[in-house]
Amino acid sequence: MDLLQGTLEMLVLRTLLGGSLHGYGIAKAIRSTSHEALQIEFGSLYPALKRLEAKGWVASGWEISEHNRRAKYYKLTPAGRKQLVREHSKWADFVGAVGMVMGAAPGAKG
Amino acid sequence: MTIWSRLTHRWPPRRRRHEHEMREELESLGAMAGPRELGNLTQTMEDARTAWGWAWLDSAAADVRYSLRGLRSQPAFVSVAVLSLGLAIGANSAIFSFADALLLRPLPVRNPSTLFDVTNTTPDSPLEGMSFPDYRDVSGKSRSFDGLLAYRLTTLAAATDPSSTARVRFAALVSDNYFAVAGIAPSLGRAFVHGEANTPGHAVALISHEFWQQQYAGDPAVAGKTLRLNGILFTIIGVTPESFTGLDRFVHPSIFAALGMSQRLSSAPADPLEDRGLRELVVKGRLRAGSSQERAQAELDTLSAAFEREYAKTNHNHRLTIRTELQRRIQETPQLLALVKMLMGLVGLILIIACSNLGNLLLARGRARRREIAIRLSIGAGRVRLVRQLMTESLILALAGGAAGLAFAYGGILLLQTLSVPSDPPSVLAVRLDWRVVEFGLLAALASCVLFGLAPAWQTVRTDFVSALKAGGGRASGEKRTLGRDILVAGQIALAMVVLIAAGMFLSGFRKTLMSRPDFRTDHLISMDTAPALLHYSPEQTMTFYRRLVDRVRATAGVDAVAMTEALPLSPSQTFLSVVPEGYQFPKGREKAIVFGAAVDAGYFRTMQVEVQSGRAFTDDDRAGSHLVAIVNRQFANTYWPQQNPIGKRIRLERADGPAAEVVGVARTGHYLAVNETPASYVYLPYEQNPRPRMTLIVQSAGDPAQLAAPLREVVRSIDANVPIFNLRTVATLYDSRATDTWLQLFDMVGTMGLIGLALATAGLYGLVVYTVNRRVQEFGIRVALGASRGDVIWLVERRGLILSAAGIAAGGVLTAATAPMLSAGFPGLGASSPVVYVLVPLALLAVSAGASYLPARRAARLDPVRALRIE
Repeated sequence: MDLLQGTLEMLVLRTLLGGSLHGYGIAKAIRSTSHEALQIEFGSLYPALKRLEAKGWVASGWEISEHNRRAKYYKLTPAGRKQLVREHSKWADFVGAVGMVMGAAPGAKG
Repeated sequence: MTIWSRLTHRWPPRRRRHEHEMREELESLGAMAGPRELGNLTQTMEDARTAWGWAWLDSAAADVRYSLRGLRSQPAFVSVAVLSLGLAIGANSAIFSFADALLLRPLPVRNPSTLFDVTNTTPDSPLEGMSFPDYRDVSGKSRSFDGLLAYRLTTLAAATDPSSTARVRFAALVSDNYFAVAGIAPSLGRAFVHGEANTPGHAVALISHEFWQQQYAGDPAVAGKTLRLNGILFTIIGVTPESFTGLDRFVHPSIFAALGMSQRLSSAPADPLEDRGLRELVVKGRLRAGSSQERAQAELDTLSAAFEREYAKTNHNHRLTIRTELQRRIQETPQLLALVKMLMGLVGLILIIACSNLGNLLLARGRARRREIAIRLSIGAGRVRLVRQLMTESLILALAGGAAGLAFAYGGILLLQTLSVPSDPPSVLAVRLDWRVVEFGLLAALASCVLFGLAPAWQTVRTDFVSALKAGGGRASGEKRTLGRDILVAGQIALAMVVLIAAGMFLSGFRKTLMSRPDFRTDHLISMDTAPALLHYSPEQTMTFYRRLVDRVRATAGVDAVAMTEALPLSPSQTFLSVVPEGYQFPKGREKAIVFGAAVDAGYFRTMQVEVQSGRAFTDDDRAGSHLVAIVNRQFANTYWPQQNPIGKRIRLERADGPAAEVVGVARTGHYLAVNETPASYVYLPYEQNPRPRMTLIVQSAGDPAQLAAPLREVVRSIDANVPIFNLRTVATLYDSRATDTWLQLFDMVGTMGLIGLALATAGLYGLVVYTVNRRVQEFGIRVALGASRGDVIWLVERRGLILSAAGIAAGGVLTAATAPMLSAGFPGLGASSPVVYVLVPLALLAVSAGASYLPARRAARLDPVRALRIE
């Protein structure tokens, strides 16, 4: 499934709400939460993380992973949390509006 | 925050740390994930890097590095480009700073754009000034201004302590709110408080920074000290900041004294501040936020109408007018506007010539780089990216040219600073290299870069790279390839011709005035101003003083004759008279003429050798109480009584029902304010019938007039040691400074511009001829091998240069036909140019073009045909 522009960053922020994760962990979390519907390319996810970091919405630090390896963990900053709230309400408005237009699924014959 | 982090990312150690961390992070993730799960990590890293820095910043830095490397290998190209741009930008910046000092620089006040000039206009005069009662009423009733200030410029005799002799200084008599409305806080002490400066009785003053430094050596305890102004003891309450030089362009007051002291300072019998007809004040208003000049004018119109109804006697036909500072300055000195326009126009043309030089060089360089560009294009460089790279190169050139230009400008400005403003006491023209000039120079550089870098850059990358790679240097395509450059060079010559002809017109036009002999005697004369009125002499005492002065000077050894006048011709302080010539029908709305005029004594015409062409000069019998007489100049007679005998006609002084003076003589028309003025009317009145508070003594010496300076001072001291003496100078000195010096400096300026324009155009032509010779080396080789003589080859090359030059001259002729009338219109007295200029300039251009082509031509002719054919 393709993602709309900017949606990826929102998903990352939402995923980090549950606690800090490393880059690969974020990709896995999004995949499993969406029941494998969203296959996130790591090649897009990683630059998105760096953009979020540059904007100050996530912060990173070195920690020891569950496999006993050093890995960089990302967590939500207070600014990132605010941003998530904004994105979430925008998203909800958008979904609601599109839902109202689309209504129930039409039959195959129309 | 993000911009900051992106900028700091340019810092190499930080960038290395980012890189290092990213690699380590991705390595550890790679170990956790499956082999190909993370995809192309190199691409991922490249994408991630864009989040940190600006890709364009990186590539721009690369462009700059690459351009610098390229330019370093072309020192000749770079120095010619930078030098031409530098000369042009230097000339432009220097002239801009000159124009700034003459006309453009905003007032040194807070927020100068909202400070407007308010004055009276009448059908007779566009700048009448304001009276204090009018000012008070406008201040009280107007809703368009946050505040209106008023002041009057004057000269005061200032003495810092009672024992020292007074020296004449410029002073401004100012209203209470002068500093508040201007938005100036004193650097020391305080400004005037409400009611302090507008009402009589408060002898308080601020002094300028310069005066404070000069007279008090920057004493921090100067506030509270006393200062004697025209003999009255004033208390200094503050010092104005160094940056504040008053509200006038050329006069920088040393003293800001309370306006309310006007009557005592001038020892006038009545308070000048209560005379609604006395319009001596300059008024400036701070426009209220939300109002506009148009709305303020509408309100002032209503007020003027009300004043006209209420005070018909004084305010008839007077209209309050709001102007921006620039509008006022243009109104005051329209001739400066013409001068500034001409100079800016000339240097603008020079800038265009220099820019086309640059464009030409860039085109030539682009041609030489076709191979390099073609290779870069063929391995996948984008055209836009290449244009950007080439533009970076021109930008670097432009900035270097701008920097060189500012250095040239600085030199020019040092020269311009020696120009002085002809005023009494003299003041200097504040030409300086400030931020406005630097900004102007850089803007000119950037504009030239965009204008003349873009087209060559675009043409260079439009190269058909297949043929460029195949052919050696693109020689095959022949002459039409240089068409664009030919046009540029011909255009340069055309513009250089316009500049040269304008310079020539200016020089030859004013040479006539310069070379003309003075229309009064200048040798063996020395003049001296005294102002006993500054010491509160009564009119009778003043008259006695002058009688005694003339008698004693006449008795001094070495003195042949003595005369007096209110204003020497060509001195900057000319005096005016309001007159109504009887029998003359004024145009509707006007009721009197304001003309140059002075009170002179009986010896004036003989001593100054001003010819009385008909009738008689004044005699000692023209005394107070005798029949009132006047002498007019020829211009006055021709203007007001054309084809009539002026002798015996009468002139009403001041107004239509004023005293009538009978014209007894007609004097030759001379020059009164400037040597290039159009003939002006002049009226002479006998001093004994029209006593004045301040006269200039003219002394004719048997020997060197300068030797009389000391004896003259001694005579004044023997009558009253406190009378200030000023402008003690020989008449020849005055004449030189007024009639020659300023003009000579202008001549230098205009002449230099002509030379710069010529040099730049010549360099452009030379460059093009050299370039074509280089491209045709093989052809010349073949010609020589087939038996062409050296002369033939030289002629081939010369012909080209001359054709270009002739084309340029023809185009220049058309341009000149359009610009010359503008020049004549801007400078009355310039007249039509002498035909010599129109012949000499094209001939000079042809000669210079022939010379510029000769060097490469000779080189072409000396080519060894064998070697020439081998060159590839």
